[in-house]
Amino acid sequence: MTTARIEAPILQTLALTKRYGGLDVVRQVAIALPAGSRTALVGANGAGKTTLLAMLSTLVTPSEGDATIVGHSLKARPAALRRAIGVLAHAPMLYEEMTPLENLGFFARLYGVAQPEPRIEELLRAVGVWNRRHEATSVLSRGYHQRLALARALLHRPAILLADEPETGLDPEGVEMLDELALRAPGLTVLAATHRVDRVEAWATGVVRLEHGRVVEDTASIAVARQGAPA
Amino acid sequence: MNEAIGPSMAVVMKDLRLAWRDRAGWASAGAFATIAVLVYSFAFDLATGDIRPLLPGVLWTTFLFAGIFAGGQSFARESEEGTFDALLLSPVSPTMVYLGKAAANIIAMLVIEFLQLGLATILFDTNLVSLELLVIVFLGTVGSVSLTTLLSTMSASMRGRAMLLPVMALPLLVPLLIGAVRATGASLNLEVGAAPWTLLLAVAALWSAALSVLLFPIAVER
Repeated sequence: MTTARIEAPILQTLALTKRYGGLDVVRQVAIALPAGSRTALVGANGAGKTTLLAMLSTLVTPSEGDATIVGHSLKARPAALRRAIGVLAHAPMLYEEMTPLENLGFFARLYGVAQPEPRIEELLRAVGVWNRRHEATSVLSRGYHQRLALARALLHRPAILLADEPETGLDPEGVEMLDELALRAPGLTVLAATHRVDRVEAWATGVVRLEHGRVVEDTASIAVARQGAPA
Repeated sequence: MNEAIGPSMAVVMKDLRLAWRDRAGWASAGAFATIAVLVYSFAFDLATGDIRPLLPGVLWTTFLFAGIFAGGQSFARESEEGTFDALLLSPVSPTMVYLGKAAANIIAMLVIEFLQLGLATILFDTNLVSLELLVIVFLGTVGSVSLTTLLSTMSASMRGRAMLLPVMALPLLVPLLIGAVRATGASLNLEVGAAPWTLLLAVAALWSAALSVLLFPIAVER
């Protein structure tokens, strides 16, 4: 793993906090990830990994603090921020009654993907679902759901991939494909929550460890986050 | 303009496609409406009395419950499959997502209602297919479905949502229903007073739709 970085952060959080009923689930998180970095977000169950990712993806509103992704503030420009991120969540977030082709076609329209057909074909071939593109998604296995979810997350060529347990449901071939397309893809910044500590060395350039919502270890950030300076 | 409307249209087409593929929700609503109209037709004696005064109530009771029944499922499924999060993760504003979903529900509901108007015309031997009545049904549907679409979002992840949705929706829909029933009565040449009921219905529908559009982004905030 590398720790010395000179790039400006592509993702920066400033005292990001989420409170539910007086309980701080995420507390004063300040990280600054450089472009192209691949960060493993680790910690025990309930450490706040999923909540942090949910805040960064704009699904959950922070109680305090802010974050910027590719210069777009979470609070001020959420729509622009969402265009810059791809999200691979716990649930595949796919329409079961639609085919893989229709699912990606729908999301391509939502994201305004230019010339979607070649992009969809490219991704479906890359994740190994092209031969089953006309079948209902409901008949595909959990592993294929996850592959398709990865294709959906990468469809609009995001600058950053936010992933929550991305290996879930994938067989070894699927994990290899995940590494190639996402976790070790050149140019793509990745922040992925994972319990697969054994695999972190294989793809991550840095680690952020959470305990009870606080950052207790950070080998991924550049210095600006620790100083708490704005981007 | 296209960039603004395009995502909403994508949601409309997607929802109509899903409604057609998995017809359980809307077919159940259609079956409920058909059975209700049939039962009412058997209950009233067509030979001896003028049943026209009863028709506005018959129609709007049927439309209301069919709409609540079907509309509640539109967000419930999105919530269960996690796809609603995928919609919110897209760069499309929540308002445009709402407009797309509400439009799809309105279209599906209008199909059921227009079929019921045709059926009721036959069963009650009264012409219910007039331009005036179609406009009234359209306005009432826009108002009621706008609100039930919003409320179904709020209740989608709750336990007992099947009961919760009508409990939340019915009190809020009372002004709209009064306008709809009275305007329908007026279109059937019944004595309903001098108030401009269709205009009042239009105002109630507009109010309901505008309120829902404004509240939706707040309703989906976590």
